[in-house]
Amino acid sequence: MSVLCTLASVSTSPVVLRTSLASSNFQLPVRLCAASVKYSVMQVARMSVLSFSQNCVSLQPMRMLWQWGPFKVQKCFAHNQLLHRTEGLPRATQGILRRVRGASWNNVLGHRLIIMDSKSKDTYHRRTGLIYVCAAGIFMLGMSYAGVPLYRMFCQATGLGGTISRGHDTSKIETMQAVPERSIKIRFNADVASSMRWNFKPQQTEVKVLPGETALAFYTAKNPTDKPIIGISTYNVVPFEAGQYFNKIQCFCFEEQRLNPHEQVDMPVFFYIDPEFAEDPKLQGVETITLSYTFFEAKEGFQVPLPGYMTQAQ
Amino acid sequence: MATQMTFQSRGSGVKPPEKGSFPLDHDGECKAFMTKYMRCLRGNMKENTKCRQESMDYLNCRMEKNLMLKEDWKKLGYSDMVKDQDSTSTTSSNKAE
Repeated sequence: MSVLCTLASVSTSPVVLRTSLASSNFQLPVRLCAASVKYSVMQVARMSVLSFSQNCVSLQPMRMLWQWGPFKVQKCFAHNQLLHRTEGLPRATQGILRRVRGASWNNVLGHRLIIMDSKSKDTYHRRTGLIYVCAAGIFMLGMSYAGVPLYRMFCQATGLGGTISRGHDTSKIETMQAVPERSIKIRFNADVASSMRWNFKPQQTEVKVLPGETALAFYTAKNPTDKPIIGISTYNVVPFEAGQYFNKIQCFCFEEQRLNPHEQVDMPVFFYIDPEFAEDPKLQGVETITLSYTFFEAKEGFQVPLPGYMTQAQ
Repeated sequence: MATQMTFQSRGSGVKPPEKGSFPLDHDGECKAFMTKYMRCLRGNMKENTKCRQESMDYLNCRMEKNLMLKEDWKKLGYSDMVKDQDSTSTTSSNKAE
């Protein structure tokens, strides 16, 4: 059974509509005890449906009204309006409750008439305003989280702030020319974490390279123990500004490398220095670049966080 | 961004490699080429320019033994070497893809 709610016209003075509640939908036996009121199963079901649809909370009946018979007073919230449902109350009581804010009645047809006065309107407006403010707050919070990937996409598209856009390097390699005036010495350094038992060293101490020229360098790692060890490495370029121009085409870093017991392998690094290195005023006097690799032991499921936020390009 | 570079931050310095990681040469299949390259470097005052051919040989060995994805030499920055080879050699180069 659907309950139709008709709103009274909005005005400052409460509008009261009389209805007759003489023949209520419920047959309530007369009992003085308010604690237990017997209803038939159908009535209870119907009331529950009504209660559920209107989100009602039972109130303790007012003491002075007990003698007037069993009844039920519920405080109901429907569509931000405060309602009082009163069933089985004699008319006089209804008259008292009529002046209560938001009082309403069930009439014979099950229609609900709602009295709205200024106070419940204010509550309604206040609550609506509060919901809007909360929604705005949540929206701002969401935008602050969304800002990170959005900014990243923006930077990669426009190249703002020196962000290197992915994928432009392969075409560059084909066309770049070596700059013969600036010969740079690349020194190699190898480190191992203190708990890592590999022997790791570079095969050459230095290589002289021109910017724009691809070069090959080798490191050697040996596992002297009797157990296979998985290592993972990262690297570092000094001076820091030169690190921007140091591009590796292929190497052995950031991925797990497994060495069997007593095994020795050569690990190549294939790299080049961007020809724009020669045009950078900050790097005018730089003639030596040091490339330093460090190996760590990889634990189960350990992932070296990739620098920046680029994924492996492969 | 270099202007914000501090000793701890290496944000712009460290990048992942473009073609990823070399698979390890466990069996030492290309070790001979590596030794040749090293010897060349030592003989030429560690100058990379003079040892480009040896480095090409090493990478070629890797490609043949499936330790590296086959790539056009131009994409690996050896366009100058490829041009020299095309102009001087008459027989077909065995460095094709």
